[in-house]
Amino acid sequence: MIDRRKFLGTVALGTASAAFLAACGQSSTAGQTGSAENPVTINYTWWGNDDRAERTRKAIALFESKNPDIKVNGNFTDFAGYWQKRATEAAGGGLPDVMQWDLSYLRDYGQRNQLLDLSTVKINTDAFDKSLLPSGQIRGKTYGIPTSTNAFAVYYDPAKLQSLGVAEPDGQWTYKEFNAFMTEVGQKSNNVFYGGTDYTGVWWMFNIWLRQNNIQAFTDDGKLGFTKDDLKKWWNTTAELRGTPALVPEERVTQLAPKSAMGSNVTASEVTWDNFMAGYLGDSGAKEMKLVPVPSDDPDNLGLFLKPSMLMVASAKTKYKDAAARFIDFMVNDPEVGQIFKTSRGVPASKTQRDGTTFEGTDKLVVDYEKSIEKYLKDAPEPPIVGFGTLEASFKRVSSDLNYGKLTLDGAADAWFKEAEDLIKQNA
Amino acid sequence: MTQSPTLSRRSSSSASPQPRKSRRRGADARAGYTFLLPWLLGFIALTVGPMISSLYLSFTNYNLFEAPKWIGLDNYTTLFQDERFLQSVGVTLNYVIFGTPLKLAAALAIAMLLNSKRKGQGFYRSAFYAPSLIGASVSIAIVWKAMFGDSGPVDQGLSFFGINLGGWVGNPNMTMGMMILLTVWQFGAPMVIFLAGLKQIPADLYEAASMDGAGPVRKFLNITWPMLSPVIFFNLLMETIHAFQIFASAYIISNGEGGPAGSTLFYTLYLYLRGFSDFRMGYASAMAWLLVIVVGIITLIFFKTSKSWVHYSGDSK
Repeated sequence: MIDRRKFLGTVALGTASAAFLAACGQSSTAGQTGSAENPVTINYTWWGNDDRAERTRKAIALFESKNPDIKVNGNFTDFAGYWQKRATEAAGGGLPDVMQWDLSYLRDYGQRNQLLDLSTVKINTDAFDKSLLPSGQIRGKTYGIPTSTNAFAVYYDPAKLQSLGVAEPDGQWTYKEFNAFMTEVGQKSNNVFYGGTDYTGVWWMFNIWLRQNNIQAFTDDGKLGFTKDDLKKWWNTTAELRGTPALVPEERVTQLAPKSAMGSNVTASEVTWDNFMAGYLGDSGAKEMKLVPVPSDDPDNLGLFLKPSMLMVASAKTKYKDAAARFIDFMVNDPEVGQIFKTSRGVPASKTQRDGTTFEGTDKLVVDYEKSIEKYLKDAPEPPIVGFGTLEASFKRVSSDLNYGKLTLDGAADAWFKEAEDLIKQNA
Repeated sequence: MTQSPTLSRRSSSSASPQPRKSRRRGADARAGYTFLLPWLLGFIALTVGPMISSLYLSFTNYNLFEAPKWIGLDNYTTLFQDERFLQSVGVTLNYVIFGTPLKLAAALAIAMLLNSKRKGQGFYRSAFYAPSLIGASVSIAIVWKAMFGDSGPVDQGLSFFGINLGGWVGNPNMTMGMMILLTVWQFGAPMVIFLAGLKQIPADLYEAASMDGAGPVRKFLNITWPMLSPVIFFNLLMETIHAFQIFASAYIISNGEGGPAGSTLFYTLYLYLRGFSDFRMGYASAMAWLLVIVVGIITLIFFKTSKSWVHYSGDSK
């Protein structure tokens, strides 16, 4: 029947999976530049949803019709998968020629010589606000050109507030007042929805709070510029609200992910980037959402800044520097590209593009918001430290553990600092 | 029962004394290896090669961009000071220890039900096997997430009976139960193997036992279990190894983060995050090799202990 030798012979021992590195090399084609008869093909990759893919497709078609000597081969994924893909490509030396980029990862790749110094090629940056360009620069080299800007804001749903008889906020508020606002909404809504999301779990809001208190998040030599006590003080800002109807419970937030609570109609307000407007409206089906500035205990210092919502970068190893530069220049400066994207990438950073775009409806709301906070704006942040993407994720995770009650305040601060210091040491 | 070993012994002993046949055997072997070549090349290039390089990388600090820096055993020693690592070990062990026996029990129970002669057994066998065909897929993890979410069918069903647990997906105390249910539900593969094993048990053993007045429990303990023990052993081994490797469903249900509050941070998921999100390939490689070693040791223990409870038909005892 079942014979031992035969049987054992068939027992294949599964081995645990090892990490694989997919090395995808790129073959070279002739020449540095192309002609209309013999165009060169550059690869362009971005993250985003179908809506962005459609807009990008249009922009590429427009570029190709104006530049018959260049063909653009587009490719996209979602945000999380995007960075894993870039990492493997970089390891294999095959990054696409041109890429959409995020500030969080600029140092990781720029400082490690993966990105082209764009000051060595011809890209027109005359129409850019001078305070914005340093965001794409590291140690005197320009690795990224911002396509557009975004700023932090408090979103609220006027219809929800009206249904409860809560007055619309004017954005001149302290943290205490903002918390009181969320508490009022939560209490009056009778568990139908919540006041807001715990904003202390958002790294960039913490960063803004640090700026309001005149603390630099990272020192110039890449160390942490704040202390554990600062962090504890920050996380304590909403301590009294946790577990009350003022804040959406962490259980709900986890289940709604990757959608936000505001986008899922579960809260009446949320603190986040202003260019999420179109996505939030689409997700929630709400008729209208409005934007007001973030709270601050110092009415003259809101800590706000315009951040490049995304950047255009080129691979250091691209064979078509000229074609890549022309494509980037087109994507950031051309008014017709502005018309295609509106504010879905953020507010166009180049004045030429901004002025050439007509903004209506929601797009106008976002542009108007950024105009309204102009007098509070400070310099854009420097490209954060190497490994910042990891730090940002762990900030969110540790805050979430705190919210679940799995960590005490001290434990959470210790855990995050340990990870941060370990990471900084690792990348030093 | 004793026929098949005798048969094989006869064929092997008759082959050796004749040189002509052994030459032909050499030719056979060459042909065999030639046919094996495509697989062998793939195995060396895609499995052995990367494994060796990952062994090397596990002793280095490698961030994908810069050349690996040799740091000796540092990765392995830091592992044990890494709270998230220890958490992932705890989560995974929990899953293996509770999930695997439950899954095998379900598989054996269903296999025994399907072994009886009833109308439409073919249909039931297919129906029960179906979940394991699609169970490992991305779509099922997404369905699972929806089912166990707030106001999902599970939440509503339990509320009907007055059990109000809310959504399981967002509750760190419930996610493990959810993951175990998912694996138990995929009992199809071990079930089919159990079923094949059950078919091999001669019916006359049961008849004889019935004559002697043995009840169903007695028959199970004294006939089914020992007769089936090699199959049980096989399934236990495979499912344990399989459980250690859980990744896809956890990745999808937790959006690739291992949350909520680290409750689905399985070993391989943390390994993946360390490698591909944090760019610490050396660290991730060390984790991979530690897993290989631990799974190897567990397999060895299984084989050693199997002698006391697994009975093969060829054995004299």
